[in-house]
Amino acid sequence: MTAPPEPGQPDSAQTDRAQADRPLVDRAQARATALLGLIMVIGAIVVLVDAARLRDSDDAVGPAAAPTLLGILLGTTGLLLAVQGARSARTAPESALEKRRLWRLAGLVGALIAFALLLPIMGYVVSSTALFTAAALLLGAPHPARVVAYGWTVAVAAFLIFDRLIGLSLPAGPWGF
Amino acid sequence: MDALLTGFAEALTPANLFWALIGVTIGTAVGVLPGIGPALTVALLLPITFRLEPAAALIMFAGIYYGGMYGGSTTSILLNTPGESASVATALEGNKMARAGRGAAALATAAIGSFVAGTIGTIALTIAAPLVADIATSFGPPEYVALMAVAFVTVSALLGPSLLRGAASLVIGATLGVVGIDTLTGQPRLTFGVPSLLDGIDVVIVVVALFALGETFAHALAGTGHTRVEPVRGVPMLSRADFRRSWPAWLRGTALGFPIGSLPAGGADVPTFLSYGLEKRLSKHPEEFGHGAIEGVAGPESANNAAAAGVLVPLLTIGLPTSATAAVILTAFQSYGLQPGPQLFTESGDLVWALIASLYIGNVLLLVLNLPLARVWARLLGIPAYGIYAGVLVFACLGTFAAGGTMADLVVLTVLGLIGLLMREAGVPVAPAIVGLILAPLAEQQLRRALALSDGDWSVLVSSPLTVVLWILVAAALLAPAVLAVVRHVRRREVRERDQKRDQERDRDRESAGGSGRDSAGEPGRDGAGGSGRDGAGGSGRDSVGGPDRGSSDVDGQ
Repeated sequence: MTAPPEPGQPDSAQTDRAQADRPLVDRAQARATALLGLIMVIGAIVVLVDAARLRDSDDAVGPAAAPTLLGILLGTTGLLLAVQGARSARTAPESALEKRRLWRLAGLVGALIAFALLLPIMGYVVSSTALFTAAALLLGAPHPARVVAYGWTVAVAAFLIFDRLIGLSLPAGPWGF
Repeated sequence: MDALLTGFAEALTPANLFWALIGVTIGTAVGVLPGIGPALTVALLLPITFRLEPAAALIMFAGIYYGGMYGGSTTSILLNTPGESASVATALEGNKMARAGRGAAALATAAIGSFVAGTIGTIALTIAAPLVADIATSFGPPEYVALMAVAFVTVSALLGPSLLRGAASLVIGATLGVVGIDTLTGQPRLTFGVPSLLDGIDVVIVVVALFALGETFAHALAGTGHTRVEPVRGVPMLSRADFRRSWPAWLRGTALGFPIGSLPAGGADVPTFLSYGLEKRLSKHPEEFGHGAIEGVAGPESANNAAAAGVLVPLLTIGLPTSATAAVILTAFQSYGLQPGPQLFTESGDLVWALIASLYIGNVLLLVLNLPLARVWARLLGIPAYGIYAGVLVFACLGTFAAGGTMADLVVLTVLGLIGLLMREAGVPVAPAIVGLILAPLAEQQLRRALALSDGDWSVLVSSPLTVVLWILVAAALLAPAVLAVVRHVRRREVRERDQKRDQERDRDRESAGGSGRDSAGEPGRDGAGGSGRDGAGGSGRDSVGGPDRGSSDVDGQ
């Protein structure tokens, strides 16, 4: 926003900026596009190799036809995205992707894996509370103690509804919940 | 008609009424909360189908589907962060109204408009569905293949910012749909020797990963910025003047929404933007557009809800989902061993009519829930983002556990979540992936069936007039964006030149007077053009070729 805020809308520019993290094409998006395209091309190779391995049948459309077609489409669209992303990455304005943010993402992935490992041992409620707390703190929650209380409430409510009411048997820890 | 009355009798039983109420309440809540949509919610609740009667579960899911449309408007009006792309048009004028202190009127016209459109849409569904089902009984595999081809093309072209991005998403989803044992030859495809992949990747896991994890990861990456919730002053009511301006917009929105929604052509986004453009053109107060014109809320919001009803026509009568939520609801049908399509009306007529009857009831419930309780729902917006996303994560893991519950599932979930994050960051929409995931295996099945019937003669695919027409549509839909792109390129260059001139003028203006109102007038169109609300600010005039006109022309292009 180049124009100063107008009297009618005191801080509209500011809030708009808070919601609109970045303009339509910036370097981060261009890089993500290129990376996604690259992954799709690699995926396409995997799909095509897997399709080539399949035994053919007598039918007009064998088991390999759909994966082959999808592999080609995946490769083509992926290549186009990669080229588009790489091209605009050079011209797009630089946007800072802080290291801290990537650590936050890694923390979330770690929390998910820890949850899977803890679930059978600690039971649903405790591991879900831990997951909620970890995620909330990583996402910038201010009061750790209060977050644990919220997490506990959510986990207990989910346990009561899904385990007791609906009858989905959720893993219980040594303490039975 | 008798069938519908029987349906009402079934839907009005206390148990089913209870499930409808639960459904619309959950639906409104998830519609209001940013980051959670009806598709994700229905996916998370899919395990319930093991416990509930088909009618009860489907009535609840339908309630969530309709409720999500109502709730979405509250968020776009008060927060200017549309929860789903179909609410983007509502946010354009609705948020401006809320900022001007007219939030209550905006909420009222959205809720009543949703009710009017939802009810008319449901009536149209009641009339159209049996007729379409009748026609569809004559469809053979070739017709299904052609219809699905139309759906593939239109979904990738319409549910995203560009055909390439939509197609990329669709193909990613379709590839995931191929994973598992090939039904015809019994060979495992893309399973890499992992036993839990043999029966395919569960729909719940894909939906949860792409929607919930992708969104949460994106938030972790972006950091939670502060958002501003506009307060609602007074009870949502329409003044006489507001009503007079609203009702024609409701009806026009409905007239646009239902037919477009019911074509196998991709969801509710297009009619909302068409309706916005139409209202702006017809309005007696065009100068109010961009500053909170009530028609600009009434029209798109009605179009949105009417289209939601329309989407159910191809879903129920042909088994063709054209939105992510419809695709997940199709999975719910399948988990009961039901296949939506013409047979559904003859074989499980009671169920279908109970479902349709519950839509009428759901609309009434939603009006009651939304109009007097608007401020209660608005309070949900006060929940901090970290709370919402941490909660989403907890429920996402619950859903995954209920769907499969192995370590491999969790690895798949996390990997797909990261792909979802990448798609989001790259501006690739995730909804087409869900449609591709569910529709691609069906399309393969129908194609093989068609060719088995014709002994491998491919000309069977164009053996009837309908199939020829449909394939021509496919070709047209594929070529149209290319033609439009050329037109747009030429226009963009013109606009850019004009913009540069304007920028120069503005710089001169600012030097002498400081600031001009012209810049902000261009904003609403700009928000709409991007279709994500993300690109509202920060862009220099060159990128976003501002101006409301631009917004509507871009929509035509989509």
